[in-house]
Formats: sequence, structure tokens, C-alpha cells
Amino acid sequence: LEHGAGGEATRKLVAETLASGFGDPEDAIVGLTGMDDGAVIPVGEENLVLTTDSHVIDPPFFPGGDIGRLAVSGTVNDLAVMGATDVRALTSAMVIEANYPVAKLERIADSMAATCEEANAAVVTGDTKVMGNGEIDGIVINTAGVGVAPHVTPDSAVEPNDVILLTDSIGEHGISLLAEREGIEFGSDLASDVKPLNDLLARALEVGGKNIKTMKDATRMGLAGALNEIAEKSGVGIEIREERVPVTSDVKGAGEMLGLDPFQIANEGVAVLAVAPKSAENVLDELREHPKGENAAAIGKGIDDHHGRVVLDTGIGSRYLREPASEPAPRIC
Amino acid sequence: MERATIRVNGIVQSVGFRPFVYRRAVAHGLHGTVRNLGDAGVRIEAEGQPDAIDAFLTDIKNNPPPLARITSITVDREHTSESMFETFEIVESQSGDSGGGSIPPDTAICENCLADLRDPESRYHNYWATSCVDCGPRFTVVESLPYDRHTTSMAAFPMCEECRSAYENPADRRYHAQTIACCNCGPQLRYGTVSDSQTTDPAVSEAGRDRFPDTLLETASGKEAIKKAAASLRDGKLVVVKGIGGAHITCSATDTDAITRLRNRTDRPEKPFAVMASNIETIQSFTDLSSTERDTLNSFRRPIVLIEATGSGLADRVAPDLHTVGVMLPYSGIHYRLFDRIEEPLVMTSANLPGQPMLRSNNSIVDGLDEVADGFLLHDRRIVTRCDDSVARIVDGERRLIRRSRGFAPTAISLPNNGEMSALAVGAELDVTAAILEKQECYYTQYVGDVDSLDTLAYLKNAIQRLLDVTGTEWPSVVVHDLHPAFNTTDYAKELVDSGTVARAVSVQHHHAHAASVLAEHDCHRALSLTLDGVGYGPDGTVWGGEVLDATRTGFERVGSLAPVPMPGGDKATTHPARLTAGILYAADPDRVEAILERHDVQFPGGDRERNVVIQQLESDVNTPQTSSAGRFLDAVAALLGVCTRRTYEGEPAMKLEAAAARGSPHSLSAPISSLNGRRVVNTPQLFTELVRLRSDGVSVPDIAATAQETLARGLADLAIEEAEIRNCETVSLSGGVAYNEHIASQIRDSVSNAGLSFITNRRVPPGDGGIAYGQLAVVAAQPSH
Ligand SMILES: [Fe+3]
Ligand SMILES: [Mg+2]
Ligand SMILES: [Zn+2]
Ligand SMILES: [Zn+2]
Repeated sequence: LEHGAGGEATRKLVAETLASGFGDPEDAIVGLTGMDDGAVIPVGEENLVLTTDSHVIDPPFFPGGDIGRLAVSGTVNDLAVMGATDVRALTSAMVIEANYPVAKLERIADSMAATCEEANAAVVTGDTKVMGNGEIDGIVINTAGVGVAPHVTPDSAVEPNDVILLTDSIGEHGISLLAEREGIEFGSDLASDVKPLNDLLARALEVGGKNIKTMKDATRMGLAGALNEIAEKSGVGIEIREERVPVTSDVKGAGEMLGLDPFQIANEGVAVLAVAPKSAENVLDELREHPKGENAAAIGKGIDDHHGRVVLDTGIGSRYLREPASEPAPRIC
Repeated sequence: MERATIRVNGIVQSVGFRPFVYRRAVAHGLHGTVRNLGDAGVRIEAEGQPDAIDAFLTDIKNNPPPLARITSITVDREHTSESMFETFEIVESQSGDSGGGSIPPDTAICENCLADLRDPESRYHNYWATSCVDCGPRFTVVESLPYDRHTTSMAAFPMCEECRSAYENPADRRYHAQTIACCNCGPQLRYGTVSDSQTTDPAVSEAGRDRFPDTLLETASGKEAIKKAAASLRDGKLVVVKGIGGAHITCSATDTDAITRLRNRTDRPEKPFAVMASNIETIQSFTDLSSTERDTLNSFRRPIVLIEATGSGLADRVAPDLHTVGVMLPYSGIHYRLFDRIEEPLVMTSANLPGQPMLRSNNSIVDGLDEVADGFLLHDRRIVTRCDDSVARIVDGERRLIRRSRGFAPTAISLPNNGEMSALAVGAELDVTAAILEKQECYYTQYVGDVDSLDTLAYLKNAIQRLLDVTGTEWPSVVVHDLHPAFNTTDYAKELVDSGTVARAVSVQHHHAHAASVLAEHDCHRALSLTLDGVGYGPDGTVWGGEVLDATRTGFERVGSLAPVPMPGGDKATTHPARLTAGILYAADPDRVEAILERHDVQFPGGDRERNVVIQQLESDVNTPQTSSAGRFLDAVAALLGVCTRRTYEGEPAMKLEAAAARGSPHSLSAPISSLNGRRVVNTPQLFTELVRLRSDGVSVPDIAATAQETLARGLADLAIEEAEIRNCETVSLSGGVAYNEHIASQIRDSVSNAGLSFITNRRVPPGDGGIAYGQLAVVAAQPSH
């Protein structure tokens, strides 16, 4: 089970067990072994981006969204952060438990359609399998997507002094889901902000062009996971100023109550960008113009020190920001 | 005639060893030379009659100078008819091979030098920085070996003619004293105030001195500096005093307003402050000293000693809600000069920014503390290596080190070593002190601190490099680290391997390291080991800390522990101890948690909202690791009793609980023991339920606190004793931070002794995490040699 959490254990499982037998096609720019958000295959003059993701979530309906919106947004965002903001096609494959209520299926389908419209994307083919009661827990949706990236923005391209931008406040998705699933009442209105980001990122690319080096959606492993991954793949350090990272007071409060760090809480609909210094301000302004980027902020920069690691400047000192552990172990004595 | 070539290793440089050798050689009519080697050893060539050489060697072995510590002497003797020398001489130092010893620690100004400082006839009269071969700074001023004036930060102060002639005069006390100085040639004082400092000039002057910042205003030098600093302190001001290995923020220890200002400005709301008093008599006005405490205070190491406070000579806010106070005597001429003008004791807390190491250059002191201090008393000798004050406590009649630093570092502690293994140990994460094993010696760094901060982590790396430098040691082949996967020290150990600096990394479980530290200190093979602390990563992924291990230095079996209880919020539960109270209550009876918390008005820093979330968190098991920690059990009791509900410094709830318990007497409870996964556990949820019952019955807080400690100690001791008997082991040991608790430690020792078993605990390294590095080395040193 530890392997599902998305951290080091998952990466290891994928790298050593699942990806090793395949190898990358000779001309892939980013292949499976790069373990990026999507694969990039050159076709003629164009960079074809391909990605797939299976979505399971408990509960399937939650404040701010549902599994349908999540399944579309997740794949659209994986394409977008590779540079393919123009989504050419999506596929959808559902595996459903036999007694799954039709009304719920309809709600999910409607939600997928609405999210596709928002992302200017369409599901072009699909598949449905029904399994027996108890053989699966409710519903699993796999979506795959194809897009074209005029400029590829892989995880591995951050350089020292690149400015790190964040498109939105963090933690809402993960903490609201947790509260909903476990029935924990914080006395505040927490809701997921799951959303497709390709429209927002398209605007950023229009302004920033090739000066946008890296984009990544900070999903299961939270902002801490995303930053660590790009620092490691880029071979640079990343320095983050804690006070600049937008966190709503509700998320902050809930995190404090549970002893959870918002940096380590899952998001769906928040992206990290690394932008060359000369374009950083323009790109940030452009992000902020867009309703999905109102809270965008410059949160730090690439540094030529602490290679492969993320340094968090807390205002009274610095510490390493670690990615979430599968089994968090207390360290204070 | 014979010629002897003598090689002496240990602490033999910078302790007056060469002048001593000179005097003994001359007395025995020998000719030859003595020189310092580059590895901290000394080489002597001596020619003369065989019996004169015998007598000379006996003198070296039996009556070396007070600060010297000889670990080995090798002698090569041969007959010779041709003499090579006409006199006996101290010759220039030489570089040499590796691993012979180390330079000594910084030591308090000696009585002779203090007498010079007091003597109006002496040319050292009122000169704060006077020192001799027996005293003064060493470790914190040396840059590299061999120890000589030009390898220290005293190189920036060329000797005046008078000092030079004393330095060269074999009859003088300061003959070859590398730190010799007087008011004409040595380091100087300056006092000043600042407003909003941001220095731009370099920290070190061209001459190599610690530059006085330009931002210093209304300055005074020399005697005037002392006068002004003392006047400010008497006025209730906060004054930074730069001392030997670092700086203190000081204020009057009898002035509540000044202490409150100090607390507010440094954001140390509750942390106990150390106090320096001019002499033992003053200390006796607010404590009741035992002879061991008095000796420890007086020793040339001059540690802070935690002593039970009795009288009313200090302001209450010095050590809020604690029954002990940390006290020390002056150790630098600066302190003595200040006490010439101030009678009352002074609060002295280390001058550092939150989470960062102590400040050491004048620039950083002034820039960092411009908003904290009203005045700065500085000097211009560079601190090459910082070194915090050491802290000790006399527990159960014996000295326990809480922090082994100034006065100790970098002195080695012997460590039984199977092979010729050399290794570096990097400790755990908090209270880190690193250590290097070289042959049978374990060299210890100064106290480094909590390396979750990157500044402190950088300090750790620097401290290790300095230790290699001052012991003339190469990087060892092995690095030992804690088993915790997310400790910065664990990452550092791996980096050392990745960069090829060391060949391999070895992990040692936290409590095994604690247990091994005691075994190695006593050269004991095996003990039923009580390891009681706050947190350690267990091999099963849960949080350990109340463990009974059947341990040897090579391995261990976990034969008992406290019952694991939920720790809602993980680390949050450590700073909000009521979360532990809820966790233990939940383990006892999930249905009664809310009612009990409410009935006894257990306070959560986040109020009722936090309490309700914590209960839901326990029910849904979100971020709720399990812990068997003894420290956390004591925290939970402290919160239940309202003794401490928010932790602002390490150990606060348990320390305040101990203080409360000191005023009470225990009720007799028997510790409930049950069985879990094949090991025996003290059923803490059941014990806790009994404590709650006492609370409901109206028993006083001090009595319940005492009952909790005593019953816990008895339960754990009984577990260890039973297992020792079943397993045919004669010794029970105690380690971990809980060993500082007087009541718990003496109860365990009593139980063990009454059972006819022998009891051992840490004496030379801290039982807390400052002793982990020694234990880590003990484990690798015990591995069969390859
Ligand atoms: Fe410990
Ligand atoms: Mg992704
Ligand atoms: Zn002296
Ligand atoms: Zn002089």
C-alpha cells in the first residue's frame, strides 16, 4: 500500500519494476524513464505529448468537485505542464462496480463533460467495464490525453536564479478531502479547488515562451513533493520563502489541528513554474490577470547550492523541505 | 651515556608540557630537545646517565602539568659515546604524522593568574585576558596544529618586549605560554551601544583581529568599558558580553523587569536561564550546595550546574516553575572584572538567534542582537571555534552531563575498540554532538545543537572538520548515523559516502546507541538496558522511547517497553502535550476521552476546537503515530495536571512535572504490566486511568506528579529486573534523557540494587542525545574486526 502514496516508494516501484522492461523509444524527448508528467514524442516538426492516469478517490463526491472533474483535470494538467496546453483528445475508460447507482454515474458523466468544455477538450473514445460487487470499490476512471507542445517544459530544466512561481494557494484539495472522508469538522468551509489549468498555463506560455523552463502540477505529494522532484531532476537547489507561499487561513488552521504541513498536502489544480528571471515578472502578472491565477506568487528561486534539495527559508532560519514520507515519523524529542 | 627518543601522546601541547619537560631535564642534568609535533604529540631527545633518564621518565609519567593528559609514551634508548647536544632546549614545532592526541579544552583562568589580575603591583593588574600555561583559551582559539602562537587567533597580537622576555624565561610561569598577553600588547575590550546595526566593514581586521564594528556608539575601552557595562547592568539593562567561546546576553538575576525584557526580546518566554555568580558564597545564598556540586562548580571546566534552588536570592522569572536553577562561576577575566563592580548574580543566556548557533564575531553579534541588547561588551580576539557552556546536574549523587562542551571539548573519552576501526558518528537530530573514534579514543566535538536548522547543520559539518584538524586525524572510513530516515544527519552520512569522503555508512538504532553508550563507558558486555527518552525511530517504524532492551554492544532484543499509545498530530503532540493526554485516554477507553478532558479542564493551546479535532483525529487515525515514549508519558501527565500545556523549550513539560513532584509525596500504586506481541509492557493507559482517579479524588497536583514518576520508574525497573533474572544477566543500565530526572533515576537505582543486581548509567557522556554519537561508535567498535 505504501507504494500508492506517490513518494519515493512509488518512484522506486515504477523505475525498477514497471518501467525497466519497456525502455524508451529512441526519439522520445521525455520518456517513461524520465517519470515526468507525460511523455513527449516528436512527430514531424511537432512534440506530441501523451499521458495517462487512473483515478480512484474516496469519497467520489466532495466539496468543490467529484471524480469526474478530477479525472479530466488530472490528465489535462499533466499535458499542460509538459507544454501541451492545447488538448487534442482525451480517452476515458471506466471500471464500475455492478450495483453502482446510475444517478451517480450520470452526475460523473455530466461533470466530465462540463470540465472538458472548460478545458476546451473532448473525450474522443472510451470503454466501460463492469465488475462484480466487492471486486472493486465503486468506480475507477482512467483517462489518457494527447496534446502538442510547441515548447516542452520538463521537470529537469530548472537553472540557478530561475524564479519559482506558484499558480494558486496550496492544500485545499487534500485537506478538504481528508475532512470529508474522515468526518473531521474544523468549523470552516473547506473545499477542493480541483480544476483544469491549461487555459491559465497557455496564457503564461504566450507571455513567457521559452523563458518558462519547467512546469509541474503539484499533486499527490504536495508542493514539497513537486519541488523536490524538479530540484532533483534539474540538479539544482531550490530556495523557497515560506511567507510568500499562499496558504488560506482555513488550510493553515486545519493543518495545525492535524499536525499536517500544507506543503505536504495534495493538490489538484495548482502548478509550479520555473521562469528565467527576465520574464518572471511578466509571467506572474499575466497569471494574476486570470481568475485561476489570482493568488499566484513568486515563492523562490533556483540556487547553485544544496543540489537536488529544497531549502525553506522560514524567516527565522532555514531548513530542508522534505517530501512527505509514506509513514511520517516524529522527530522532535 | 644513553640517548633516549621519547614520544608522548595525548593532551601534551598548550598545557605547559614543554616547559615542564625542560625544567625536569635540566634538574636531572640531561641535554637534548623537546618539540611539539604536528599531530598534537611531543617528541623529546634526551642524553645523559641511564639513571637520570629513568628519573626523568618517572617525572613525566607521574607528575605531568595539571592540564596534561598522557595517553601513551614510547621510548627508544640506545648507548652512545658521542653527544649531540650541549644544552637542553625547546625547539620550534614540527609537522608530523597523524592521530596522536588533541589540544586541550578551554579552561577557566587559574588562581595564579587571577592573583596577578588582582595584584596592583603586577603588570597584569586588571588585565582581563591574562593566562598562562595552565589556563586560558585553547580549543576556541587554535586554527591548526601544532599548537603555537602563530597557529592561534593570538597571532594577531605581537608580544610586547616584557611579554616576550617572560615567554622566553624558563623561570617564568608564562614560559612558552602561547596565549601570553598584557594590556600593552594583548586583546582589548570595548563597550558600546548600537541602534539598528548593519555592518559593512569586514569582520576581521587586517591585523587578524575581530574588528570592533563601526556601528558601535558611545564607546569606551579598557577599564572604562567594564565600568560602563557594569553600570548598564546595574540599571537593569541587557548587555551582551563576549567571552571565550561565544557570547552571552546578560542582565541582573535579581531584577524581574530586566528578565522579563530579556524574555520578551529573545522570545524565550519560559526557558530557564543560567546564572553566573561571583563566588560560591553568593550561590549558597539561593541554593543548598552538596560537596559534589561545589566541586563541579569549582572545577577548571566551570560548567553550568543545575542545582535545587532554595533561598530567595534570585528573581522568580530566572527559571519559571522549576525547582532547579543553572548556576556557574566566572571563568574568564572579563567575568571577574565585571563582578568587581556588580555584587548580584547575572543571568547569562547564550547569544544566538532562534535555531542558530551562538554568534561569535563582533559584527554578527552586533547585527544580530541590535534589537535585543542595550549594550555590548566586546573584545577583539577572534573566536576561531565557538563552544557553548557545558551543563551538568548531580543526579543521585553523581555528575551527569547534560551538555558536554566548554571545558571538555575536544578531550577524548576512552572507548573499547575491537579492531583498528576509525569512524565518525554524527549523532541524532537534536542536541547533536559528533564524535570521532581513533584507536581506543573517542574525540568529541563541542555541543552543536539541533541540526534541523541548516545553519546548525553547517555548524556540525564545520565542527567535525575542526575536530579532524585539532586531532590531526584523517577522515575515517566509516560514518555512523541514526536509523531515522528523515534526519539531516542521516542525509549527511549518505552524502559523505556519495562524495567518496568515507567508504561506508552504518545505521544504529537510537535506543541501541543509548544502551551501548553505557555499556562502553563501563566496559560492560551486556545489560538489561532501560532507555528512556522523548523519541527514537524504532526498526518497526513506530516511535520508541520507553524501552527495555536486552543489549550488548553488537545487538539487542526489545524485551519490554511502555504500551504504545497514539500521538495525535505527530510532532504537534510534542509541543501541545494535551494531545498525548487525549491519546493515552483514548487507548484506555475511547468513550471517556471527552468527559475526562472536560472534567479536568485539560487545556489545549488551540482551545476546545483543537480538543474536538484531536478526538476526531484519534477516531479516524489520521496522522496519529504510535509511541512508547517515556518522555511523552510524562508530558501527558504534566498536561493532565495543568503543570504545562504548551511546550516552549525542549523537555519543558517533564521538567515542570519533576519540579511539581519535588513538592509532593507519592501514593502507593502498583504499575500495571501486560503482554504485547511477546514482550512485557507497562500498561500506561491503565496507570494513567489510576492517576485520573487520584485527580478526581482531590489528591494534590504535587502528589499525583510524584506518584506518576515513581510508579513509572518502579514499573520499568521491575520489568528490567524480572527479565534480567529470567535471562541470567547481572546488570541493569539506564540511559536516555529521562535519566536526568532525579526521582526516576534514584527510584530505578534503588529497585535494581535491592534486587541484588548491579546498576550502571552514563557518567562521561550525556545520557541524553548528546551521548548518542559515543553510543553509535561503541556499536561499530564492537563489530568483529575484518
Ligand atoms: Fe534519545
Ligand atoms: Mg501529474
Ligand atoms: Zn593561569
Ligand atoms: Zn605584553
